[in-house]
Amino acid sequence: MLNFVAMDEARKQAPKTDRGQAVLEIRGVSKQYGATCALDGARLRLYPGRVHAVLGENGAGKSTLVKIVVGAIQPDAGTMLLAGKPATFRSVQQAVSAGIVPIYQHLSLFPHLSVRENLSAFALGGTRNSRAAKAIVSKETARAWLDSVGLTIDPDTELGRLSIGERQLVEIARGLGQSCKILVLDEPTAALSHAEADRLFAVVRQLCAAGTAVLFISHKLEETEAIADDLTVLRNGRTVIDAERTERVNRDTLVHAMLGETVNVGVRDLPELGEIIFRARGIRIHRRAAACDIAVRAGEIVGVAGLVGSGALEIGAALAGARETAIGTLAVGDRIFPTGNRERAISLGVGYVPSDRHVEGLFPVLTALQNASASVVPTFSRRGLIRRASEHGRLVPWLERLKLQPLRPHLQASGFSGGNQQKLVVSRNLALANLRVLVVLEPTRGVDIGAREVIHDAIVAAARQGVAVILASSDLDELLALSHRILVVRHGEIEGEMSPSSGRETLIAALAGRGAP
Amino acid sequence: MTGALSRLSTSGRFLVAPVCLTVAILAFGAAVPEFPTIANAGNVLAQMWVLTLLAVGQMFALLTRGFDISVGAVAALSSTVAALAANHWGLPALPLGALAGLVCGGLNGLMIGSLGIQPIVATLGMFVGARGLALLITDGGQVVPLSQSGIAAALAYNSLAGIPPIAWMALAVVVAAAWVLNRSVLGRRIVMLGSNPDAAWLVGIHPWRVHLAAYGLCGLFAGFAGLLITIRAGSGLPTEGTGMELQAIAAAVIGGTALTGGVGRVSGVVVGAAFIQVLFTGLNLSGISPFLAGVAVGVVIIGSGLLEYALRRFLSPLEQNRRMA
Amino acid sequence: MTMAAAGSPSIRFAYRPPASAAIAFVAFVFFAILVPRFPTLGNLENVIRVASILCIAACGQAVVLILGGIEFSFGSSVALASVVTVLTLPDTGTLGAFAVGAGVVVLVGAVNGTLIARFELPSFLVTLGTLMIGAGLASTIAGGLPIDAPASDAFSWLARGRIAGIPVPIALAVLSVAVLYFLLAHTRLGRFWYLAGANVNAARLAGINVRFVVFAGYVVAGAFCAVTALILTSRVASGQPNLAPNLPFETIAACAIGGIPLAGGQGRASQVVYGVLIIAMMNNAVVLLNFPVAYQRLMIAAVIIGSVLLQKLAGKGWQTGARSGGSS
Repeated sequence: MLNFVAMDEARKQAPKTDRGQAVLEIRGVSKQYGATCALDGARLRLYPGRVHAVLGENGAGKSTLVKIVVGAIQPDAGTMLLAGKPATFRSVQQAVSAGIVPIYQHLSLFPHLSVRENLSAFALGGTRNSRAAKAIVSKETARAWLDSVGLTIDPDTELGRLSIGERQLVEIARGLGQSCKILVLDEPTAALSHAEADRLFAVVRQLCAAGTAVLFISHKLEETEAIADDLTVLRNGRTVIDAERTERVNRDTLVHAMLGETVNVGVRDLPELGEIIFRARGIRIHRRAAACDIAVRAGEIVGVAGLVGSGALEIGAALAGARETAIGTLAVGDRIFPTGNRERAISLGVGYVPSDRHVEGLFPVLTALQNASASVVPTFSRRGLIRRASEHGRLVPWLERLKLQPLRPHLQASGFSGGNQQKLVVSRNLALANLRVLVVLEPTRGVDIGAREVIHDAIVAAARQGVAVILASSDLDELLALSHRILVVRHGEIEGEMSPSSGRETLIAALAGRGAP
Repeated sequence: MTGALSRLSTSGRFLVAPVCLTVAILAFGAAVPEFPTIANAGNVLAQMWVLTLLAVGQMFALLTRGFDISVGAVAALSSTVAALAANHWGLPALPLGALAGLVCGGLNGLMIGSLGIQPIVATLGMFVGARGLALLITDGGQVVPLSQSGIAAALAYNSLAGIPPIAWMALAVVVAAAWVLNRSVLGRRIVMLGSNPDAAWLVGIHPWRVHLAAYGLCGLFAGFAGLLITIRAGSGLPTEGTGMELQAIAAAVIGGTALTGGVGRVSGVVVGAAFIQVLFTGLNLSGISPFLAGVAVGVVIIGSGLLEYALRRFLSPLEQNRRMA
Repeated sequence: MTMAAAGSPSIRFAYRPPASAAIAFVAFVFFAILVPRFPTLGNLENVIRVASILCIAACGQAVVLILGGIEFSFGSSVALASVVTVLTLPDTGTLGAFAVGAGVVVLVGAVNGTLIARFELPSFLVTLGTLMIGAGLASTIAGGLPIDAPASDAFSWLARGRIAGIPVPIALAVLSVAVLYFLLAHTRLGRFWYLAGANVNAARLAGINVRFVVFAGYVVAGAFCAVTALILTSRVASGQPNLAPNLPFETIAACAIGGIPLAGGQGRASQVVYGVLIIAMMNNAVVLLNFPVAYQRLMIAAVIIGSVLLQKLAGKGWQTGARSGGSS
């Protein structure tokens, strides 16, 4: 269980010695992409044996900075000092040889090779030998590396048979084998179950104890507060908070630094509730879960809270009719629709905003307008023929309402920022003429603050029109601000329900499994 | 239980060819009296190598998530070049044909790896171009008879422990391919590129080099196939090989090579090619139209795809349950 | 990467020709200068007549490419159709025989569509399988040799007849392109093809019946191929088990040269036309110049590669753009 409170306590109790000399220092680094300035005189200082979080909104420059650190790109200006000496990396291999090991969200492992071959991937890639056996580490060495990250598996297993968490650990083990001085983790817990995230943080703690510096990028403020020793905040390419000890920075300062203005993350004025229009009975996303019943009224926003891997998103998807393997009955009013048929669900007015817009939501090569109209094509076509004027007239007002930037409906969707792409997926559902139920999963993941506000406004406005909204998210502030009530999900089941007025701590406790919600 | 099933779905693909081959041998063995004879076995083992060489080459391209539809034309070109070279410089110059194959394959690799052209388009260009080149150097498609056909015939039809010498040579080359795939750094890099192209550059692999090598190998093996054709026919055949590229892909796929890259075994491809050869031979002997072999191959291809679909459907909810807990 | 309607936010879109139009234009001018007989009316009619047959089949391939798939079975469906047509000729008369032949091709398309849409098998695999099955069946039924059809005006009308003075193949090609354009630019089904091809998961979640859309795509492709099959059968006036084995490759080449990406989600009828014209002009010029067949092949190879390369170099934005669901 991801026990933030316990981790927090443990960290605060650890002896706080002087940090020593920075193992990595970046000064005055700038990077320009055409007309966009990604980094403008950014600074970073990494100390050995400490976990250093890099925070910032989208577009703040986090990933650019990390790419410079690991040698994937070169800065236009600025210096990088490794253990006090200037260093430039022209390629990732150079950085890796210098002891900087990146672990990306999309792992750089090879599912069709064995674990042992994967551990030797750098050697296989760089060797001049022709015999593979010379480059592949021995079984004993492999076992030793795996042991150091707590994995006890046969090194000759095919990597594809391991879970994502196990694969991540293999990648870290590989990094260790490269005698890594700095480990760079990019959104490491995004795809992990809580047990796996626990194991990851335990390994990270071990590495720090051994002197490795860990640099990690995360969106999750709670996670950052719990595990990071030092923080750097970037905003608009500049370092706003530089390597401050975590305990010296409070949440409000953090948010203020990231956003540059105070944002009202308080409670909104929520609509009044009407009749029950959506009923889910006997919903189970896997055979051993307990069945649950959910009823949502018109105008109601029901939050579904759960940690990564808890099943909250899967339950949300099931409620929208997007999950074939779910069991149970779904009904809008008295019309039942199947658990795996989105076509039927849409015909009954059930909208769905998936959690991963790149894989499940966007059509990157099509235009913004075509993206936005994807669910409502029948409404602007008659007898099988598309009427362009009608499409324009129906969808562009929504794009205006959602403040699409730039407001160019015929621009290819891939040319928009993440927040604006999300607006396209949202408007696809809002434009449903008979919208009665709206299921949104992680609506503001990877979305900038401005777009986030707009999307939240739109969700509340839809509810005010009488739509029943189900909002599943790992963003606690979002849930607390928008929900009438919050369902807590753990292990693929709904464990209980709580009111947002109970507060953040209660919600965290409920997600952690402590105390009855 | 799920572990075993999961293993089945990943390595089950390598069972298709052996099962099909066994079924075919048993069926023909029972139904056709001339089939289960030593002579016939020798026949099959002698004739299967052109397809096998083409299919092994194809496997290297498939491993990188690509494919090569020019192998038939390249084989014909190689056959022609080999004959011309042998006539000009004597029989030891025959392997120049294989070199021609290597060059064609290398060009494919450059187009795909360095210029970023899609495999279908690049190899389509080579498909047309290689055929054109073959026609060009033979003055419009005339066969090129070998001047020293006696030695060639000896290689092709004498018996060395029941099988002609060239069959042994082909087997040796195929064994070498297996070594390259499994034990050489190049082979591991080819698998890595197909398994996770994005990660490949991260660990120091230059994708364009691996593409060059993989398609180069594919062309080289097409070149070997061309050599084999020349030796067996006693002439260079510039118009041979039409339709063989798809058969080669079929043999590779039946042999367990994944179209999505990263997965393949030389042994599987050999068994796949053997299966197709047995089909042809068996049907020929039985007097049934040999064209039905094509039908059978098509059915097996689609059938193996359906099998994978069934395994996926069956396994996926079990897999999800395991993850959820 | 970023394409917008030229100018105004109004609904009327400015027409932007595909990149291959420029290549076609340059090729035309080049050949017109190089080969004196090229730009004559009689010759141009010849070019277009030859191009027509490829054009109709390429329309079918384009639909499949937009869906993100690939169609190899054209190579044997036309052969199978010709054999079946000629065999049923004595029993059903010309019209009936053609109907049966066309039905066979559409049926193959339906089988492909079912395997790909319902069982989610990769199109490469499926159409390769049906290609081999079709070729095997065609050869088996025909006994390995072509079957001659009795010479008749009715039978050869499709290939040699004229309608209002225009050769039938050309008229059918024009009709096919018009139908393709209409489907792609103006119908719901066409819009769904683009959506399913651009991101099949997102299309499913957006409530689109992807199974039907994909199935329909392969059936429509089969229909285009059926017309091609009938014209080819009419032209050779026999059932040929080896009628057009390279047809899938030629159609893929035409679409690629025209600028249709193989990844799906994009493609226009005009791109098919320009791609086919480029190939046809080049073939024609080579014949007029009396080059041996070998040079023909080499030039086609060069044009295929060169055209695709040129379009890559000119930048993706120019080639793809907002017209994907679009105006032509």
